Amino acid sequence: MIKFALPAGDLRGRVAELLNRAGLPIEGYGEGSRTYRLAARGRGDVTTRVFREKDIPVQVALGNYDLGVCSISWVKEMSVRFPRQPIVPLLDLGFGRSSLWAAGAQGHCDQLDDLSRLAAVRIASEYPNIAESFARSARLARYRVQSVWGAAEAYPPEDADCVIVPAAGEDLLREGRIQPLFKLFDSSAWLVANALALTKKDLSSVVAPLLSAGTATNGGDDLRLPGPLARCPSDPTAIRRDTVRLAIPDGHQQRHVAEALRAAGLTFNEYGDGETFRRPVSGIEGLDVKVIRPHDMPQLIATGEFDLAITGRDCLLEHRYAFPSSPATELLDLQRGQYNLSAVVSEDLPANTLDEALTLWRAEGKAILRVAAEFPVTADHYARSRHFWRYQVIPIAGASEGFVPEDADLLIEGTETGKTLMENNLKAIDLLYRSTTCVIGHRDHELNGRRRRVVDDLINALEESARAAGPV
Amino acid sequence: MEDSMRPPGMRDMLPDDVERFRIIESAFRTACLGWGYREVRTPTLERLHLFTAAGTLSPQMLDRVYSFLDWDGWSGERVVLRPDSTIPVVRLYVEKLKDAPSAKLFYVQNVLRFAQGDESREDWQCGAELIGDTYPLGDLELILIAYEVFERLGFTPEIKLSDPGILRGVLSKAGYAQAERLSVYDRLLDGDSNALSGVQERLPTGTGAALQMISMEGDGSAFLSNLRSVLASGMPEVASVIDELATIAGVLTDIGKPPKIAPALVRNFEYYTGPVFHLFIGDIKVAGGGRYDALISEVGGSPVPASGFALEMEPLASLLVPTGSTARPAIRIASAGNNGTDIGAVFALARALRTAGVNVVVGESGISARWIMASSEGFSLTEENGKALRLTSVEEVVQAVADAGHD
Repeated sequence: MIKFALPAGDLRGRVAELLNRAGLPIEGYGEGSRTYRLAARGRGDVTTRVFREKDIPVQVALGNYDLGVCSISWVKEMSVRFPRQPIVPLLDLGFGRSSLWAAGAQGHCDQLDDLSRLAAVRIASEYPNIAESFARSARLARYRVQSVWGAAEAYPPEDADCVIVPAAGEDLLREGRIQPLFKLFDSSAWLVANALALTKKDLSSVVAPLLSAGTATNGGDDLRLPGPLARCPSDPTAIRRDTVRLAIPDGHQQRHVAEALRAAGLTFNEYGDGETFRRPVSGIEGLDVKVIRPHDMPQLIATGEFDLAITGRDCLLEHRYAFPSSPATELLDLQRGQYNLSAVVSEDLPANTLDEALTLWRAEGKAILRVAAEFPVTADHYARSRHFWRYQVIPIAGASEGFVPEDADLLIEGTETGKTLMENNLKAIDLLYRSTTCVIGHRDHELNGRRRRVVDDLINALEESARAAGPV
Repeated sequence: MEDSMRPPGMRDMLPDDVERFRIIESAFRTACLGWGYREVRTPTLERLHLFTAAGTLSPQMLDRVYSFLDWDGWSGERVVLRPDSTIPVVRLYVEKLKDAPSAKLFYVQNVLRFAQGDESREDWQCGAELIGDTYPLGDLELILIAYEVFERLGFTPEIKLSDPGILRGVLSKAGYAQAERLSVYDRLLDGDSNALSGVQERLPTGTGAALQMISMEGDGSAFLSNLRSVLASGMPEVASVIDELATIAGVLTDIGKPPKIAPALVRNFEYYTGPVFHLFIGDIKVAGGGRYDALISEVGGSPVPASGFALEMEPLASLLVPTGSTARPAIRIASAGNNGTDIGAVFALARALRTAGVNVVVGESGISARWIMASSEGFSLTEENGKALRLTSVEEVVQAVADAGHD
């Protein structure tokens, strides 16, 4: 059986088209499809599974899948940190083209050398390993990499000096008010293979037709890194801020937060159910609002970049499990967007509690427990506190329902009604906690004057909104 | 299932290994204390930025450090498991000892760096740092301390001298800008033999032999004179570097320890700014060090001259022949019965013998040919020849052992 990992997201249409051309049509795979396990028509020897693109190099390197299609940028992100991972890029498919750039805040870091002026460089990226390599290679004396779930391009200038982001062209970066500093590599979609599978298993019935049907090019560039930057005297001048900064989320929490804001009598122009604008207008004097990923908010509160943020308790707890003494703290439960974070197993497992499952796995002689989770630090904390024996946490970026039982024994998963679990032959056997949308802030920040009033007014209004929503 | 529960690259030290370690440590400590150095220890965790600035660890070495976000590292700034000891000692000096005119410090501690496969990822360093003393006194003192350690261990090492200033001078002459020079030098430090390709054609006419010369090895003053004649005309800044080496080589030759000169012998650490030395036993490098006058200001202090060295513990330990246990012989004490009074007698005797400075082994199994059976009614001391002596009190046993001259 050849196991083939296919990407969800933007690449889906082009990959489906390629597979059709190669005579490997996958039932139900294409634009807008939401099914995770799919069959190749007329090919009993091929099984496919749809993953978020970022997860595919991990799954192929682990040997859970023999082949995969994903942007080469995610392979480089893994291999720059773990160079001996057994993953082989086989074929540049020639679509999904973009480049990975180091870009700076316009007017603040317009050239690469400007980074060496800063006492400490703040780098935000969805590619934290590449960002670390970039910083080391440039010999930045002091830096910190903020690993973000998305929207890195919205961070400069307030929340980052430099970002490592993909972009199809330099102009697109400039349009977004960031300045291209250094191109790290050109990226496109690639067919990748597990190295061991290549040596032990005949994959030619999939690889050969893809090779002949593909629009292969000469392949992507190697990762280029800058040389050491000349040392310049640092300029540690701190920017004094006289506004209150509020972070509000994009993604699935956006709907709940927009409702909560409306109920509080707050309307932020351009923030709602439609397209995401990163800097909506608050209409309140002294209040700046920015839309970022909810996962990234606790860190930005802890470092003082934002005064308030509206995020899920799940994101706050993930941050607090990683950094127990962080000053990011919950100020107000908005009583919306409730879900349960649960430990989930296959419906076929004859166990209804975690203890039963652990006993069963131990009796089976399972040497290592595979725990898949979108919140890996929470999953690690859970596994430790529940005394798992040897275990590995597999971080996943999404499309989580299809992991158990083939690619993980246990899934740490958010569930609202349990319907999706049932549809995917899964069941919850333990509850980690209930999460709702909440307002978070810095435990030790004492605000005065106008900033204090703006914060108090916001919290009071949101308290009204929470009361209206009622206890969940 | 893997062969071992230990992570790759991590080593258990068995009793013989620890004994060899202690022999080296003892020779090292004795030499350092004898030259007026005092022992320090630095923490296992340091901030990563201590090591990232240019002039500290090379990027390839930085790719091998164990860095992570600590439990309070929400800012995204990392900490690191100490990959090197000199830089932490310099930090210690800058933060705690900078008001002293000079600091003579030594340490015995581990460093951790990733290595492929099961190659060792944890190494122990016996190192000494001399902060505040200038060329050439400090350099010579450190070379002689290192030399004394090996003499105490029964070895006669070979000394090899070099200076990164020679290589830097050549790269500068080849027209590399500062950033390029750092980049080529980083590669050289990490042992990339292709790093010098392209340098030769950029060198001006008449200096072509420079690259060949710096990759050679020669005898002290004679080789340095040749090196000077080839390099100094086209690269006057290298002349002073060679003169420094010549002074050190001259003193060492005069005291009967003539060194070799190996100009390209600089690897792994880029903070060296002046003469660098290595000690070899046969082909095995067993110690290395040098001058790092810029490091203290890189770490945030005022410019202070400094130099240091460290022993290569693992290869050195492999050269030592195990001698077996160095523990003094012990008397075994067994209990006549498994009851409280007999066992009480065993430990009453054991404590009395220990107070008298006699080594004891309690229990049925032991390594001593002489042994004592203890009970509530008295003691039976069996000599090596099998003859048994009955004694009634703890004091009598202690006296008998003393009379027999045991231990």
